[in-house]
Amino acid sequence: MESFQPVIVAFCCHYCAYTAADMAGSKRLHYPANVKIIRVPCTGKVSALHIMEALRKGADGVYVAGCLDGDCHFRSGNTCATKRVAYVKKLLDEIGIGGERVEMFAMSAGMGEVFARTATDFTEKIRDLGPNPARVGLDKLGCVGAGA
Amino acid sequence: MITAERKPIEDLIQSVSPYRRILLVGCNECVTVCSAGGRKEVALLSSALQMHFMKEAKPFEIKEITLERQCDPEYIEELVPIIDQADAVLSMACGCGVQEIARRFKEKPVLPAVNTTFMGASERQGVWAERCAGCGDCVLGVTGGVCPIARCSKQLLNGPCGGSTRGKCEVDPDIDCAWQLIWDRLKALGMTERYEENIPAKDWRTGRGGGPRKIVREDLA
Amino acid sequence: MQEQRNSELSNKVLIVGGGMGGIRAALDLAEAGRDVVLVDKSYSIGGLMTSLDRTFPTNNCDLCTLSPRLSESGRQLHIELMTMTEVGSLTGSVGKFKAGLTTRPRYIDLHKCTACGECYRQFPECVRFTPGLDHRAPTCMRYPQATPYAFSIDIDACKDIEALVGVCPAGAILPDDRQTTHEVDAGAIILAAGSELFDPRVLDTYGYGVYPNVVTSLEYERILSASGPTGGALVRPSDGKKPRKVAWIQCVGSRGLQKGSVPYCSSACCMYALKEAMVTRERFLEDIETTIFYMDMRTYGKDYELYLQRAKNDYGVRFVRSRPHSIDPAFSDGAMTGALDIGYMPYGSNLPAAEEFDMVVLTVGFRVSNEVRELAARLGVELNDHGFAKTETFEPVASSTPGIYVCGLFETPKDIPETLVQAGAAACCASAHLSSLRVVNDKKDDLPPERDITGEDKRIGVFVCDCENNIGGVIDVKAIAAELLGLPDVVAAETIGHGCSRDSLERIQEVIRKEKLNRVVIGACSPRTHEAVFQDTLRKAGLNKYLVEIVNLRDQDTWVHPDKPAFAASKAKELMHMGVGAVRMTHPLTDYTLPMNKDVLVVGGGVTGMKAALSLADGGFKVSLIERSQHLGGNARKLRRTLGGDDVQAYLATLVAKVEGNENIQVLKQAVVVDHTGMAGMFKTGVQVGPRMVYRQLVHGITILATGALPNRPSEMLLGKHKAVVTQLDLDSVIEDDPEKVKALQNIVMVQCVGSRVPENPNCSRICCQSAVKNALRIKALNPDASIYVLYRDMRMPGMQEEYYTRAREKGVVFVPYELDDMPVVGADGDKISVTFTDPVLGSTVNVPSDCLVLSTGFVADEESTEDLGIIFHLPRTSDGYFLEDHVKLRPVDLPTPGFFVAGAAHSPKNLRDSIAQAQAVASRAQTFLAGDAINMGAAIAKVDSNRCAACLICVRACPFDVPFINSEGHSEIDPAKCHGCGTCASACPAEAIALMQYEDDLIFAKLDGLFERTA
Repeated sequence: MESFQPVIVAFCCHYCAYTAADMAGSKRLHYPANVKIIRVPCTGKVSALHIMEALRKGADGVYVAGCLDGDCHFRSGNTCATKRVAYVKKLLDEIGIGGERVEMFAMSAGMGEVFARTATDFTEKIRDLGPNPARVGLDKLGCVGAGA
Repeated sequence: MITAERKPIEDLIQSVSPYRRILLVGCNECVTVCSAGGRKEVALLSSALQMHFMKEAKPFEIKEITLERQCDPEYIEELVPIIDQADAVLSMACGCGVQEIARRFKEKPVLPAVNTTFMGASERQGVWAERCAGCGDCVLGVTGGVCPIARCSKQLLNGPCGGSTRGKCEVDPDIDCAWQLIWDRLKALGMTERYEENIPAKDWRTGRGGGPRKIVREDLA
Repeated sequence: MQEQRNSELSNKVLIVGGGMGGIRAALDLAEAGRDVVLVDKSYSIGGLMTSLDRTFPTNNCDLCTLSPRLSESGRQLHIELMTMTEVGSLTGSVGKFKAGLTTRPRYIDLHKCTACGECYRQFPECVRFTPGLDHRAPTCMRYPQATPYAFSIDIDACKDIEALVGVCPAGAILPDDRQTTHEVDAGAIILAAGSELFDPRVLDTYGYGVYPNVVTSLEYERILSASGPTGGALVRPSDGKKPRKVAWIQCVGSRGLQKGSVPYCSSACCMYALKEAMVTRERFLEDIETTIFYMDMRTYGKDYELYLQRAKNDYGVRFVRSRPHSIDPAFSDGAMTGALDIGYMPYGSNLPAAEEFDMVVLTVGFRVSNEVRELAARLGVELNDHGFAKTETFEPVASSTPGIYVCGLFETPKDIPETLVQAGAAACCASAHLSSLRVVNDKKDDLPPERDITGEDKRIGVFVCDCENNIGGVIDVKAIAAELLGLPDVVAAETIGHGCSRDSLERIQEVIRKEKLNRVVIGACSPRTHEAVFQDTLRKAGLNKYLVEIVNLRDQDTWVHPDKPAFAASKAKELMHMGVGAVRMTHPLTDYTLPMNKDVLVVGGGVTGMKAALSLADGGFKVSLIERSQHLGGNARKLRRTLGGDDVQAYLATLVAKVEGNENIQVLKQAVVVDHTGMAGMFKTGVQVGPRMVYRQLVHGITILATGALPNRPSEMLLGKHKAVVTQLDLDSVIEDDPEKVKALQNIVMVQCVGSRVPENPNCSRICCQSAVKNALRIKALNPDASIYVLYRDMRMPGMQEEYYTRAREKGVVFVPYELDDMPVVGADGDKISVTFTDPVLGSTVNVPSDCLVLSTGFVADEESTEDLGIIFHLPRTSDGYFLEDHVKLRPVDLPTPGFFVAGAAHSPKNLRDSIAQAQAVASRAQTFLAGDAINMGAAIAKVDSNRCAACLICVRACPFDVPFINSEGHSEIDPAKCHGCGTCASACPAEAIALMQYEDDLIFAKLDGLFERTA
C-alpha cells in the first residue's frame, strides 16, 4: 500500500482556510501534494452533494475547512457546514464507504501552520484507510467489463 | 403539506438491487418543501446509490428527473420518453406519486424511496410535526384550533386521559398533551364553556372507516 | 466643508521620485481624485525595489508584487508620469507652488515605442541601461516590467545615428529630441527621492572592487534574480563556480567606526541579509552554508522576530556576533583560490579568529546622494547632518517647508512597509492643501465594448506564469501548457513569464483578440491577490471579466512542494485541468453597485485614533471616534518624553483640544462596540455609550481600528513585589516628576526584552530599546555619576536612533548582552536589588547591587479587545493577538475585509512617531475608498430560478442575513443589493433553485471532473 497516493479534495472558504493555505505557501510550509483545494466563498456554500460527488467522482477523502467557531465572515456558514458534514458522514456509513473519509476543520486566516498540519494529518489518515472502496469497486468493474 | 422521510439507505439498496437501470423521480411539491424528495435529495440519493454499487462492483445506472408534481397525470407524462431506459422507477414522492407512476406505466416496477408520514406543518427549519389526520369531518372549530384526532395520541374527543401530566402526554414526554393545548387555547379565547360541550362519538365513515375516499367537484369535473 | 476650501488652490500634487513610496503616494492621491505629476530622474520608475530579487518577510519576488502597481500607475488617468525629469526650481508657497521641471531627451517617442528591442539588438551600446552586477543583463530595460515600457537612447554613444533611426520598425527614435522645460502648478509637494547604497570601495580592509567574490548585498540580489546577469544561477563572479560557503557582513558603512561610515543604522539591512541567506538556503538547500556576522540583529518589525527565528531554526542560518576587521584572499599553492578569509574577533574572546568563505556579501546601507542634497537645497528643504530630511516627532512626514512632505528613505532609512506607510501619510498631508475634493472617475477608462459571446463555441485560452523561479523553478511550465493544448475547447496555451507584468497582460489581450477566446485560464499566484488584475485584462480585451479562472500554482503548489518537483508538476497539471473544467462553466456576469455612505468610524481614542480622525475630519468627512475609557489619549497619557525629548503631554493636550473642538468629529467616550452588520460603504455598528451603556447605532462607510496595545507588566524579576523594581514607563514619570530621587540613585540596572521575544510573547516590542536609552540619557543628565548597566539581547536602535545609543555609550552607560538561556538573575537585597549576569567580555559572572532595577517590558497585544472586535467585525488576528493586515508588505494598513483599516499599536508595537505616520496613512487609504460614490458589490450574488422554486422558505430561514423572501409571485426573491454572497441558501435549497454566481454547482462539479479526468 506504500504506493497509494490518496486524492483529497479540500473545500476551503475564501476568508479563512483558503487564506491560511496561501499563508502556508508564503511561509514555505510543506504539506502533501495530494490535497487539492476548491475555493468557496464560505463553507456554508458546500452542500452535502458537493462532498458526495467529490467522493463518487474519485476522491479518497474530502474535507471542508472554514473559519473558527464564531468567526465566520458570513456569521454562521461554518456551523451549517459542520452539520452537513455530520449528515454526510452518516450517509457514507450507511452506504459502506465510511464516514471517516470526510471531515470538517476550522482555522483562521493567519493559521498557515494549522492548514499544513491538517492537510498532512488528514492525508495520512486517508492513506491508512486505503483507497475509496467505490473507486476500487469501479476499477474491478472496469476489469470485469474488459474481460467480458 | 404531506411530509415524508427518506427510507433507510439499506432498504433502498435492497429494493433496487434486482435492477440495473433505475429512473429516480423526485417531486417539486410537498416532498421538496420537507426536504425528502426534491431535486437536491434526488441528486444526493443518486450519488449515494451509485457509490454503493461502485463499491460492490455491480453495474448500476441511474437517471434523475424531478417532476413538478407526481400526483398529477399530466406531469407524469414527462416520463414517457425516458421510461424505457429504466428497469424500474424509484420515486421520491409521497405514496400518491408512487401510485400515479405505477398507474401510468403498468409494466414498470415502481419503488417508493420515502416513507410518507403525515400531514403536518414545519415548526422551524428542519422540524416538521403532525397536525392533521384527514378524518373528513373537521372539529377544529370546537377544539380551539387544536386537533384532538391528529395530536392526541389516543384521539380522545372529550378531554384528556389520566395520562396527561404537566401538559405532556404519557406516550412520550416530548409530546404536548393535545387537550392541555386545547384548554389553554380556549382559555385564551375566553371560551372555556366550549370545553364543557360534549363532542358526540365521531362518525369515522368520513375518514378511513368508509373505505377509500374520493372528492368530486361537479362544476369542475 | 468642501465649499470653504479656496478654489484658487491647485488640485495637483507634485511627487518627486518614482520608487515604491512615490508610486504609492501617487496611487493614493489619484484614487482619491487628485491629480498627480510623478517625476523621476531615471528613464523608468520603480526605484531601488526593482533591483531586488525577493522581499522579506514573504520571500516573494518583487517584480511580481511591484509590477501590478506600476501597471496601475501607468493606467491611472490622474497621474502624469514624467521620467528623465528633475525639479530645477521652486517658487510660490503652500497651495500655490510653481515648479520648474527639466526633462532630458529620451530620443524615443514614448507613444510609438513598443519596446520590441530591435534598437538594443543592433546597437547595444546606444541603449541606456543601469547595470546590476554585470554591465549587460539579458535585457536593456532596467527590469522586464519597466514603466514606461519604452527604451531610452544614449545619443552620445551612438556613432551612426541614421542607422540607429533606421532599425526602429515603429519609427520611434527621435534623433533631434531636445531637453525641455515645463512649469507645473502644485498645491503640495511630496519628496520621495530615495537614497543610494553605500559604495564599500572606500573600505580598504574588505577588498571590495579588488576581490571579485566580495560583492554588495544589492549585487547579490542581482545574482539571485532571474532577470539578473546570471539568469538566477548562484555562481561566484571570479570563476562561475557555485559557492559552498557564503558569509554576510552586516553594517558595512553604517553604525560608525569604519572609514567613510555613517553613524546611523540603515534599518532594513538585517532583514534583507536574513532574506538573502534564507533564499540561498531554500534554493540550494543543504549545499550552501550561510553565515551572518552581526553586531545586533535588528528585526524589530511586525513578526520580523519570527522571521529571525525561522532563519535560525528552520533554515539553519548561522549567526556570529562580531564585526570582522578584514577580508583577505585565500591562497593554495601560492595562488589565489578565489576564496576569502574573514578575520574577526569573536565576541567575548580575546583570541582573533579567521574563517574561509567562497563568497562574502557586504550588507551595505543607505546614503543620501549629492543629487538629492542639491535637490533639497533647491527646494529649500532642511536636512539633518546626514542629508536626510529634517522632520519633527509629531509630524513625521512634514519637511521644514510648509506644503512639502517627505517619505521613504529620504526621510530616514527604512524598509518597504514603512515606506508605504509614510507615502500614505504624505499623501494625506498633501491633500489637505488642495482645492475642494474632486469627483473621481470624471475621466473614464477607455474600454472597448464587451463582446457578446452568446452562441459562440467555447474557445479557451490557457496562460501559465513562471513567476520567475517561484513557479518556473519548480515545474516545467512549458510542458504544462503543451499538455493543456490537447484538451477539448482549448485553442491556445502558452507560458507568459510574469503573468502580471505589463507585457504579459498585453500578450494575453492580444491572444484573446487573435484567437477570439471567450474563456481564459491563468496558472499564476493566488486569486486572492491577482484576480482583479487578470479580470481587468479580460475586460480590456473586450471580454466579460468573469470569464477567467485563476489557478493558484504558486502559493498552493510550487511554494509548498519545491522539494518534490514531480509531485508539484502532477498537482499543477491536475489544478490546471480543474481550472479548464471550471472555466467552461463560467458565463458573463454583471457587478452590482450601491450608493456609498461616506462617514467614518474610528475605534480607539489614543493618539493614533485621534490623528486619523482629525486628518479625515479636516478633509470634510464626518467621523465618530469611540473610546472605551473616560479619556482620550490612550497610552500617551502615561508617557512624558520621547527619545528626542519632546513633551508628550503638551502635544497630547493640543491634540485632544483639536479633536474635541472639531465640528466634524463626534467623540463617544466610555463606548464599547457591541454589534456590527453591513459591508464597506454601508456599515452599521452598535455601540453602548457612557456609564449607563446607552445603545446607539452608527452608520458609516469605513472603519478604522486604532485600539492600541497594552503596556506589558509581566510578574517577572520582582516587578510588583519590590519597590526598587519598575518599568521603563514608570521610570519615565519618575525622572520627570521626582528628579531628586533620580539624583540619589547610584547603581541602575536595566533589563531589556522582559516579556518580549519569549515564547509567551514572541515578537519584539520595538519601543523598549529606545525607552532604555532615553531614560539612561536622562538619568545621566541629572546624575552624571550614576552607574547604568543595560542588559540586552540586541540593541535595536534603527535609523537616527543609533546616535542616541552611541551618545549613551559615550556618557558611560554600560551595555552588556545576555542570551535567552543565560538570563540575568535578580534577588531582593533589603532596599536594593542584586542583579547577577554573565559579562561575555570579562568572561565571568558579575553581581551589581542596584538601587533601581528597570525592566523594559514593552507591549502586549490587547488580546481581550482585539479578540472581541475580531469576532464582531470578522477580522483576522496574528497568533499574538494583533490585527492581521491584508499584505504585510504592500498593504500594511489595509485589513483583508474591504472598508477596514488598522493603525498604531493595534497593528504591532510601535512608538508615537510611527503610530502618527500610520494614522495619516490610514486616513489616506480611507480617502481613496471614500472618494467613490458607489460600492461595488461584485457579482457573487445568489440568484433564484423561479421555475424551480417551491417556495419552501428554507432559504428564507437559512440566510444568515435575512435577505431572501417569498415575493408576491410566490417564489423566493433575493435582493442583490443585500446579498452577501455566502451561498448558504444555495446549498440549503431542496429544489436546487438557487445558484451562487461565480460559484455555481456545475462549475464546482466541473472542477471535480477536471481533477478526475472526466469530461462530463
